[in-house]
Amino acid sequence: MFNYINESEVSGVGVIAAWGRTLNQRKTILIVVAPVVVLAGAGALWALSDWLGYDPAKGLSRSLPGMDGGPPESERNQADELNVDLAGELATYDGVPSSLPGSWPRFRGADFDNIHKGAAKLADHWPEDGPRVLWSVDLGEGHAAPAVLNGRVYLFDYDEAKRADALRCFSLDDGKEIWRRSYELPAKRNHGLSRTIPAVTEDCVLAMGPRCHVSCVDAETGAFRWGLDLQKDHGTTEPLWFTGQCPLIEDGKAILAPAGPDALLMAVDCATGEIVWKTPNPNGWKMSHSSIMPLTLHGERMFVYAAAGGMVGVSMEGKTLWEIPWNASVIAPSPVAVAGDRVFITAGYGSGSLLVQVDEEGDGYVAKELARHGPKDWLACEQQTPILLDGLLYGIMPKDAGALKQQFVCYDPASGELVWSSGKTQRFGLGPFFLADEKFYVLDDDGTLTMLAVSATGYEELARYRVLDGHDAWGPIALAGTRMLLRDSTRMICLEMGAL
Amino acid sequence: MKPTENKRRRDFTRGALALLVGGAALSAARSRSPKLVWQIDPEQCSRCGRCATHCVLAPSAVKCFHSYSICGYCDLCGGYLRPDAKGRNTGAENQLCPTAAIKRTFIENPYYQYTIEEDLCVGCGICVEGCSVFGNGSMYLQVKHDLCVNCNECAIARACPSDAFKRIPASEAYLLKSDQEKRIG
Repeated sequence: MFNYINESEVSGVGVIAAWGRTLNQRKTILIVVAPVVVLAGAGALWALSDWLGYDPAKGLSRSLPGMDGGPPESERNQADELNVDLAGELATYDGVPSSLPGSWPRFRGADFDNIHKGAAKLADHWPEDGPRVLWSVDLGEGHAAPAVLNGRVYLFDYDEAKRADALRCFSLDDGKEIWRRSYELPAKRNHGLSRTIPAVTEDCVLAMGPRCHVSCVDAETGAFRWGLDLQKDHGTTEPLWFTGQCPLIEDGKAILAPAGPDALLMAVDCATGEIVWKTPNPNGWKMSHSSIMPLTLHGERMFVYAAAGGMVGVSMEGKTLWEIPWNASVIAPSPVAVAGDRVFITAGYGSGSLLVQVDEEGDGYVAKELARHGPKDWLACEQQTPILLDGLLYGIMPKDAGALKQQFVCYDPASGELVWSSGKTQRFGLGPFFLADEKFYVLDDDGTLTMLAVSATGYEELARYRVLDGHDAWGPIALAGTRMLLRDSTRMICLEMGAL
Repeated sequence: MKPTENKRRRDFTRGALALLVGGAALSAARSRSPKLVWQIDPEQCSRCGRCATHCVLAPSAVKCFHSYSICGYCDLCGGYLRPDAKGRNTGAENQLCPTAAIKRTFIENPYYQYTIEEDLCVGCGICVEGCSVFGNGSMYLQVKHDLCVNCNECAIARACPSDAFKRIPASEAYLLKSDQEKRIG
């Protein structure tokens, strides 16, 4: 028989008071409470031990080097020994050179300013279905763009099926191939393959392949003259993602920047392939994607090159005139001369830009850093070189330019002010741009071509049309007469841009 | 019955009929109009990180997408490796993703494939920023519609600083980056 305690006794004091009233009551309480206390204590001990013994890292696995199945870093990116027969082979086709006027003989055009100065009038507006596509050609993946002379279109391509570099010559009329000189070269897609523009004269074509192979061939027939393997012969370090250096022909000489241990720049006779001069490379600067630009400073024409490590001015005879260090990691744009004997250079990937003042000193020159800006602070371009027009610089801002990213902008280098930008709704990727008939043409990554009125006061769009399907339309634009040549990663097209 | 009462009854009947017909027409129109869903325009996305923190779901319904047709398969991948990474490998200290949601697999020298493990991805966009600044921009954010509850007023869209959230037809619920990828999709 159980004796129940009153409700009023169910409290600390009540229980204690109840304790000892009778023996039976004590027994009853012990029988009921003791197991509960023992169980609760055991539970608490178990919970405490579980809490103390909890391993927060249980179920996680460590991420250690080598879990991707790749080779150790020390074994990666070792320069493979290439034995390339640069003479290769020549194939001829049924294309016929055009008699159409106009030329675009090299990177940035005849005057190295990316401005077409032909007399042809270009349309101010386009039909609803866009500019007329005259012809198109499928290409190996890359960003190499064409040069045009005497009705021939020269393009340095990569034949992915044959794994060969290929200098191809097409007719400006219909895009039919005239000849192709190719040599076998193992190269793997690395953000595309080809990426340079040949230089062409009445005499010869000079091309540089993605792995720093230079070849000079007859402009008309494609007959091989000479070739150079800059890595093997001159110790060049192949830049990340292959080289983008567009070679230059000046006064019958190929002007190259091998940036190896024995020569930063050098000149090679186009007729014979003999080296005419070499500029020493005491700082050990490396090859960049930038191209050598002939600029005139203090009335003297000189070669200016932005290497990985710094920028240099070199005389027409190969003597170093001035130099200035600049530690941009990846440089694709080329130097631009601005008023006051200044040189502007820019690069992407966080580098921004550098404005250099070149002054005469004694019987030479000295270069001084005038301004250095981050990509959010002033004009910067990742791939393309800015255009200087009437004292103003035009360009496309890089991806890391904050609110101005990928906008087409106009800066005044004299005042340092942003004059105008295309606005947040008009962005152009890494797009190539150039100027013709007082209009800017800007191609965005996806192949949309935009025509802008030249304006020192604001963005004024005249027309826009998607002319290419693909992505990475980064190859610079060329114009010969009224025919515009553009490309995306795998196709080149020819547009008729003449006034309607 | 008075004539005024008749008129009231007629008016009521007409009104009720008009309401019925209007309602039916509206319902038919609604059923014909396409169902809309929220999606991110990758061209407008500024990788601010709010997709990870403002979604009503945890983790967010926004995930990283990877376009293999745009990817360069780089050993030095800006979307996988921290900018100050000491090594180009799978060491945790080198990885940019805070949840290790990107898996790196060797293909052949010098190419590596990067795949996104959706269960681990929180949609923070840190890899997207890295891939955009030092890469081809093959990584980008999209709303995953098997996860998204399609709120009438999307909490992320409200917080998005670059107006990248759009209402698009559910029949084409993704804004994929390249045409090539669209064709595959």
